[in-house]
Order: sequence, then C-alpha cells, then structure tokens
Amino acid sequence: MGEREDILAGLEKGVIEGEPEKVVELAQRALAAGIDPLDAINQGLIPGITEVGRRFECKDYFLPELMMAADAMKKGVTILEKEIAAGGRKRESLATVALGTVKGDIHDIGKSIVGTLLSAHGFDVIDLGVDVPAERFLEGVTDRGAGVVAMSALLPTTMPYMQRVIQELETRGLRDKVKVIVGGAPVTPEYARQIGADGYGDDAVAAVRVLRGLVTSGQ
Amino acid sequence: MPRRGLKSNWLKFIKDDDLEQIRFAIVEVLAEVGVLMEYRPALEILADHGARVDWDTSVVKIPEDLLERALLTAPSRFTLYGKTPEYDVKVDLDRVYTIGGSCALSVLDLDGKHRLAVRQDLVDLTRLLEEMPNLDIMHQIVVPSDVPELGYELINFATCYSVSKRNYYSQAQSAESVRDQVRMAAVFQGSEEEALRRPTFTEVVCMVSPCKHEKQNSEVLMESARHGIPLYIEVDALCGATTPAPIAGTLVEQGANVLAGVVLAQLVNPGTPCIFSIASGIIDMANGAYSGAAPETTLIHAATAQVARRFGLPYQGGTGIDAKLPDAQAGYERALQVLTNILAGTNFVHLSYGMMEQMLLASYEQVVIDEEIIAAAFRIARGFEVNDYTLSVDLLARVGPLGGHFLTQRETRDFYRQDRWVPHITDRNTWDTWQAAGGKDMRQAANERARALLAEEKPWAVTHEQAAEIERLAQEGVRKAQERKERM
Repeated sequence: MGEREDILAGLEKGVIEGEPEKVVELAQRALAAGIDPLDAINQGLIPGITEVGRRFECKDYFLPELMMAADAMKKGVTILEKEIAAGGRKRESLATVALGTVKGDIHDIGKSIVGTLLSAHGFDVIDLGVDVPAERFLEGVTDRGAGVVAMSALLPTTMPYMQRVIQELETRGLRDKVKVIVGGAPVTPEYARQIGADGYGDDAVAAVRVLRGLVTSGQ
Repeated sequence: MPRRGLKSNWLKFIKDDDLEQIRFAIVEVLAEVGVLMEYRPALEILADHGARVDWDTSVVKIPEDLLERALLTAPSRFTLYGKTPEYDVKVDLDRVYTIGGSCALSVLDLDGKHRLAVRQDLVDLTRLLEEMPNLDIMHQIVVPSDVPELGYELINFATCYSVSKRNYYSQAQSAESVRDQVRMAAVFQGSEEEALRRPTFTEVVCMVSPCKHEKQNSEVLMESARHGIPLYIEVDALCGATTPAPIAGTLVEQGANVLAGVVLAQLVNPGTPCIFSIASGIIDMANGAYSGAAPETTLIHAATAQVARRFGLPYQGGTGIDAKLPDAQAGYERALQVLTNILAGTNFVHLSYGMMEQMLLASYEQVVIDEEIIAAAFRIARGFEVNDYTLSVDLLARVGPLGGHFLTQRETRDFYRQDRWVPHITDRNTWDTWQAAGGKDMRQAANERARALLAEEKPWAVTHEQAAEIERLAQEGVRKAQERKERM
C-alpha cells in the first residue's frame, strides 16, 4: 500500500476506533501528502462512520463507541473542510439543521447525541441548546438558512410546544421551506403525524436515517 | 393510629469504610466543584451563609461546615399528614412506605387498549390506587392529554386530592402554584393556617444532572420551604450519560446535587422536612433510553438508601419498570426492584404501582398485580422471629416423632394467621383445579379485580361542595398562570 492508501485506511480506522487525536494527525498528514481533502472525507472518514453505524445497528457497538467515533469524525472533517474552503470549494452539506430541546424543557443529552451524529453524517448542525422558544427555531431558518428544524422533548408536559413551533412556521409562511423532525422519550410516530411533523426518530440513529431519507428523496 | 411502615435495612451494598469514601467525595464535590443555580435569590442566601458564589457562572460551592449546619436542622423524623389520622405517615430513617405515580402519558386500559390518558383515567386510576392497602402516598399517575399544559399540576392536584385520603405527592411549575395548592388544601382543612400546620401534600423538585438547579426548581423549593411544606429533593441521574458510568460516581453526583438543595431549604427555613430523592436510571447504551428496571438501576437505588441514611435524611427511591404489558418481564422487573428497595430500607419506594415503559405508560391491571408483588415483598422483608415460643421445642416434644402432625395443634392455628400472607390474585392450585376455575392467567385475574374495585362507588375524600370549590380554585390557578405567561 502506498502512503495515500495508508492514510485513508488510517482515517477510517481512527473513526471506527473513536480516536480523535489519531484522526486529527492523519488529516494533517493527508493535507501534507497532497491528498484532496474531499477524498480524505469521502474515502477515509465516511466509510469509517458508515461501518460504525452498521456495528451499532447490530449491537456490536453501543452509544459510547458511536459518540466517540462521531467526535473523531467531526474533528477530522473540521480540518479538511478548512482546506476545502481555502481552495474556494465547498463540501456538499446534506442540509442545515436547527436543533434544540423545546421551551420549558432543559434536558440536553438526547438532543446532543442527535446533534453529534447528524454532524458526523454530513449535516450542518446549529445547536440552539435547551429551553428553546419558537422564535429561535424560526431565526435558525430565516437568519441562518436552516432547511431542517429538529425538536426534542423529554417531558410529556413540554412536548405540546413542538406543535406551537410548527404553527409558528406556518404563520410565517416558512412551513413549506423546511423539513421538521421530532423525537424524545414521550414522542410517538402518531403524535409526530398529528402535529404535522415530516419525520420522527425513535432514537438518534433513526433520526439520522429518517432525516437522510427526507432530504435526499426531496419529498 | 397513623401508618407505621415496616422497619427495614437488611441489605447493604456499600461497606462502612467505602461509605465514608463516598461521603468525602460528595463533600469534596460540593465544596470544590459546586452546583450551578440559575435562581439568583438562591445564590444570594447561600452566599450570605458562607457559600462561595461565582456570580458570572452562577456556580455555588458549599463548604463542609455549611453542609453540616444544614444537616443539623434537617429532621430525620417527621409526619406526612393524610386527610385523616389513619393515613398519617410516620417518617424515620428505617421505615418503608410506598408512593404511586408518576406522570405517565398513556394508559393500558381494562379493554387492553393502549391510548393517551385522559382526566377520567386519572380519576379512575386514583380510585383504584386508593383501594391498594400497601400504598401510603398518592401521586398523579398520569398527566391527562385533555388538560392544559400550563397549570396541569393544579388540575391533577384537584383530582387526586379530592379522591384520595392519602398524603399527596405534588409538583409545581411556579411559586404561585405552590400557593394555589395551599389554597386548595385549605378548602378541606378549613384554613390556610391549618393547611400549613399539617401539610397534607408534599412538593417534589427535580434537579438536572450533572449538578444543575434550574430557576423554576429553586423557586418552588424556596417557596415550599418558606411555608414548611415537606420536600422531595430529587435528582434523576442518567448513569453513563448525565452522571459517570460507575455507580459510585453516580452516587457522588446525586449526593452533591441533592444536598445542595437540602442546604438551600434549610437556610430558607431551618427544620423543613427534606427527603433525599432519586429517580435515576442507567442509560441503555443500545438505544439511549432510560432503563428503570435494569439490575444496575436497582443497585443504584438500593445503594443510595445507605448514602441518604449516612447524611441522616429519609430517602425516596424506586422507579418505573420497562415492560409494556403486564407480562413475565413486568413481573420479574417489578419484583426484583421492589424487593431490593424494601430490603435496602428505601423509606419511600416510588413509582411502584402500575408504571411501565420508562414511566410513559400506566396500566390498570399492573396496579393490581403490583399490590400483590409489594405485599409479598413486604412479607419477605418482615422476616421471622426466633424465641422460645417460635423455636417450638415443647410443641415438638408434645407431638413427638411418632407420626404426628401440627395441623390440629392450637399453636399452629394461633400462629399461622398472623404469620402468613394471603394472596389475592395469585393462583396456587394444580392444573385441573385452576382450569375448572376458568384457567385465568394473572393479567385476567387482575383485570377482573380492577373492574370489581372500580365498580364500587366509594365516597371521595372530600365532600361534593369541597371538590367543586377545589376544582374552581384549580381552574382559576390555570387562568392566572396563563395570564402571567401572556404578560411575560
């Protein structure tokens, strides 16, 4: 194997093993060796995160491995994207996602897992944090170009706020411009349909799958 | 004749010197890592009493001497009042009680339908729970989908408080809500003064892990403490996600987080009864879900009993199970969880009736099945006595080895009645006898029993007039909450 193959295989392995330092070092080596940063992402990091997803689905990997891999992926992408931008090019983002836990709910962890996985899978994520009022979701769409609104709630009592955000989007004439996905412990597929969301993910991995389907099918 | 729970603390998972290490670690985290408190008045009162507050980050560090002073005034014995004296609960560090609850969204009804809970379910489930002899404290078992989200706790208060004679485990979304609840209790108790002298409800405040007290919780905590309303100061750790993956580390976070709240309550009003509470669980690493019935979750709950006792505080633990149906999984999960908690001396075993599916689902049938499991678990925890009478040497001598038996001995007749637990819906027959009686499994037996209990129209705990007035106050409280929100 030549140096190029070594580096690409190393990037893939670094993601699979969840080693951010190793991925950072190899990303820098890739640039020094003149490898196209897009190739480093598409032929190194992406096969890695794809394999991690497969292992998670068959319960060979669990959340900690998944999150560490996503973190390693993100660190590598950050370095490589900077170089892509410096060359006047842009890596295709699947979509920009305005993500947050809805108003009244301060539970962070589930939403953060989703955010980490989405950005590892090629989405641009604007993490609005917790206790997010409708207005800030809307700003994500109007001011920062989000094509997806992703809302999470852990409490049964805060879940209804998701509907408010969707209504606000309609009122402002933005509903047709965005995809809305929802999730969190009390949220069900029926509830998601009832409030007019476009998608629902039972867990973070499902959220990635569902959103991918939504943005690539153009539905 | 108040209720006096079984005394129990048989089961210990933490060795004495390890418990001291845990205590030191908690003290260290409180003093050197600190807790984030969003509510400025909370920070101010802590700062006034020697806590170190970083006003930029709102992190407060509580030195050991301040913690110790607060623990001196936090009582380890008090009474949680029912509507009548026989429902008073005498709390101390050894007695075990049960609490229903909490806040499920859906029900599994008696027709086997899984659907969103409505207010009638809250009424019916509360009526059913009221008939469970081993339930000590009432809690809202569902959050109905047909009540407004703002002020829902007032509607639920009105419902459960009117139906049940037991002390009510309440929650509040604001300081004003606490005052609304005092007003509602006063309808039954005659005056607000009386309602505060013998509080018939208790407030829970749930802290966020790691070590975060959001504004609303501190506000409710301080308001309740001001009135001397007892508090369940609770942390709902997600072990491995919001607290460290090792159980010991989770015990440390829980301790620091809860005790920060206890200190605050004692500074606001020394002597306020504070119950060290958790609804923690492990995160299932396969799907990110909270698992209430994982063996590790039960270990956390049993071990926390020792930690709370070490700080001289009564303790609430226990949490929902993961099963979706009253099936074998539900039975084994509930039994291991309840028995372990009772043996560990968890003073309040919470969420022990009917709660399933990570606290999202309440099952009518499971309420009745859980009563059976809890009763059997209490029987095991009661143990047995050894004395001259029970050793029965004289009796053995009298009956002798020559083919006698004990069934006709007076001692047997006198003793077995007080010693034996009599099941309600557990079948101990052989196949043919069981078949002849209909061949029902436990779920069917529970279904019939629940239907029979609900068919009896028992009087509520308050009069019709009082219920109507309490309802009026609840609706008014909801309206006020709505107006406050619009002004914001």
